Amino acid sequence: MTQRAATEPMGADPRDHEALALEGITVRFGPVTALDGAHCTIRRGTVHAILGENGAGKTTLMRAAFGWLMPDAGTIRLHGAPVTFRTSAEAIAQGIGMVHQHFMLIPAMTVTENIALGGRGRFDAGTTAARITAVADGAGLPVDPVARVRDLAVSAQQRVEIVKALVRDARILILDEPTAVLTPDQATELLRWVRTFADAGGTVVLITHKLREAFAVADDLTVLRQGRTVLSAARALVTEAHLIEALTGAGVGPGGAGGPVPYHPMPTARVADAPEVDDPAPVLRLDGVRYVDPRGVTRLRAVDLAVYPGEILGVIGVEGSGPRELLRILAGRLTPTTGRVTRPDAVGFVPEDRLHDAVIPSFSLTENLVLADGGEARGWMDWSTWRTITRDLLATADVRAAGPDVPMATLSGGNQQRFVVGRERRRAAAALIVEHPTRGLDLTASARILADLRALGGNPRPAVVFHSADLDEVLAVATRVVACFEGRVREVSPPSDPTDRTPYTRAMTGSVETTAVSSGGTR
Amino acid sequence: MEALLIPFLDATIRTATPLAYAALGELVTERSGVINIGMEGIIIAGCLGGLVAAGAGGAAMGFLGGALAGAGMAAIFAFFVLRLRADAIITGTALTLLGLGLTGTLYRGLFGLEGAALGTPSIAPIALPGLSSLPLVGPVFFTQTGMTYLLYLFVPALAWWLARTQAGLALRAVGESRAAALAAGLDVQRLRWGAILFGGAMGGLCGATLVLAQVGTFTEGMSAGRGFIAIAIVVLGRWRTVGTTLAALIFGGAFALQYLLQAAGWALPYHLFLALPYLLTLILLAALRGRAEAPAELASQESWSRA
Repeated sequence: MTQRAATEPMGADPRDHEALALEGITVRFGPVTALDGAHCTIRRGTVHAILGENGAGKTTLMRAAFGWLMPDAGTIRLHGAPVTFRTSAEAIAQGIGMVHQHFMLIPAMTVTENIALGGRGRFDAGTTAARITAVADGAGLPVDPVARVRDLAVSAQQRVEIVKALVRDARILILDEPTAVLTPDQATELLRWVRTFADAGGTVVLITHKLREAFAVADDLTVLRQGRTVLSAARALVTEAHLIEALTGAGVGPGGAGGPVPYHPMPTARVADAPEVDDPAPVLRLDGVRYVDPRGVTRLRAVDLAVYPGEILGVIGVEGSGPRELLRILAGRLTPTTGRVTRPDAVGFVPEDRLHDAVIPSFSLTENLVLADGGEARGWMDWSTWRTITRDLLATADVRAAGPDVPMATLSGGNQQRFVVGRERRRAAAALIVEHPTRGLDLTASARILADLRALGGNPRPAVVFHSADLDEVLAVATRVVACFEGRVREVSPPSDPTDRTPYTRAMTGSVETTAVSSGGTR
Repeated sequence: MEALLIPFLDATIRTATPLAYAALGELVTERSGVINIGMEGIIIAGCLGGLVAAGAGGAAMGFLGGALAGAGMAAIFAFFVLRLRADAIITGTALTLLGLGLTGTLYRGLFGLEGAALGTPSIAPIALPGLSSLPLVGPVFFTQTGMTYLLYLFVPALAWWLARTQAGLALRAVGESRAAALAAGLDVQRLRWGAILFGGAMGGLCGATLVLAQVGTFTEGMSAGRGFIAIAIVVLGRWRTVGTTLAALIFGGAFALQYLLQAAGWALPYHLFLALPYLLTLILLAALRGRAEAPAELASQESWSRA
């Protein structure tokens, strides 16, 4: 980057020059118009945030700029000159790099092999590795060139993706939802890096749906809605209210939700009041639970935990520190190595990867409902009854679907998630385990699913345990918070100042000031 | 002991040679993320192609003819799977049936009922000067046909190409993740076309070797399941060049064992010996089940047909 900065003409502010301009970009997928004349101009040496809900066309627009797909109409200018990219290789050759939301890395190969991919002639691992190390260290993004990608943490894989672009002399970096896979600390670090990269003369396009991120780091903002650019301006000229209005618009909502959905303001760091509980018997209980994964890594050590009816237990902790295993043991998907688990026969479970673990996208809603009931339905299938049950579920869980016979794949992410939550609630009234409730959902759908979790009814009310990488989400919904750190689970006492997050971030990074979660919690 | 061992090992290398050609061809195809189970049809096409071309232009022409016939069959497979997006398993099965049927028909059409002329050109073993006089190793490894010697050169060359060239890296990447390969700007279709055609040419060489270096003539169905064994060899060899070559040797040994045991006069029905390599295939595949080292794209049927 430093060399890059030195090559910029002295004197003039590089930000006066456009790096990448997209005008009138239209992209159609069959009958669907994904982009309808979208535009934006990205200035050199800036961070430009592209905002929009899921399906607004953010990624599609940037894929067009990256040569991943050819727009049906529109012009792309690179440093002022019109360009046409037929393949992403051509865009890469012109100094554009893109880090896709789902990393384009090959798990079975080494970092060096992954980065070398796409070159010509001999492949000399030693030389390539040396070059990678030089570029990575120069950019402040340490990577191990000989490591296999499958052995790397997600954040390290992301660094590999960025280094891959830099090794190819990318001057314009497109990052698609880069913080979605990171912990809050890692996200902060990445955004800081992005800022440094831009300050040194690089150009960054940041695709995100997190407003705070865009405000924190971007120089310019572009908001897309339903394939059109509805706002494109310098950040200094935009207020949060503008943005929210631009994002959600009036009368539009994904999945035909019927009218505008009020935006839930950025939640303050406040743990909701704990519910009054009459019944002291815990629904879920772990005693001295230890879990060693198949690779021999101890994931949980000596965990004692009790969850009571009506409680919404938020689990925080970075990836790999234990939340995933904790939730899956409570859900009955994992068996602890040692220790005792007390749980009802049926525990509802909403896994993080809906489309792989919770539903079969090509099956109808009714079929997806029946499947979850496993051994319950036997012999002759009374489909009309099941269809009625499904229809009821659609009504009670407020799932927008044309009917019980449509394939799951036709539902929007938010509706799928509500369907799964509703189905699991129907199956297991006493306890519900939810992994990353808003993963892959847009702002509106996220807000709704969180509100749904808060409002779960029943008598007695269910015990809910959920984990999210977004601390705000946990604090907005949970009645009690526990933090995982290196396989230990501790309760976090709410701070006296509700906006103070330090107790939570400290708990996730192993600093003290937490109390051990006894079977009785802090009740 | 040596009187039995040397002929056995010699026969092992000799029978392993065509298997190794087919298996290495299949290896390259599979490393690109496509499984071609039509190898059987490719090999039999190589047999007939080799016979016809050798009759017209000598043994060297025969190998060229075999390779072209194999590549031609593979082109049909590639056209259906890559261009028309047909199911690879169905297409491969059809290719096997097509190859077996078409060669029988063509053979009878070309040579009538009396069969091929006995004067089919063939290649004889060449004793390499010096090396062939080494004890044990000499008669086993260095008194073989040119096709075996070519294989000695080809195996390290392929291993090097896969590991040390950008093209080899690209081929492996396409087999592991089509999406990542596309993101790197690779032409997935072209790489797969190349890998399939190469696999076909290698399968054709296998067939030509059978005819011109071993059997000396063509019989209907003479590929005798070698195409399927080649696929098993690739699995046994864990999709690696050297491993696959060694696995081909094991199967060569199983074929050779049937000669050895029959020569030793075991009073067992000879069908049992004939079944030995196939039995071995089943046993080894069952013993090696599970471990996931296959190119990841092989598991994603859908991706074979997408651009």
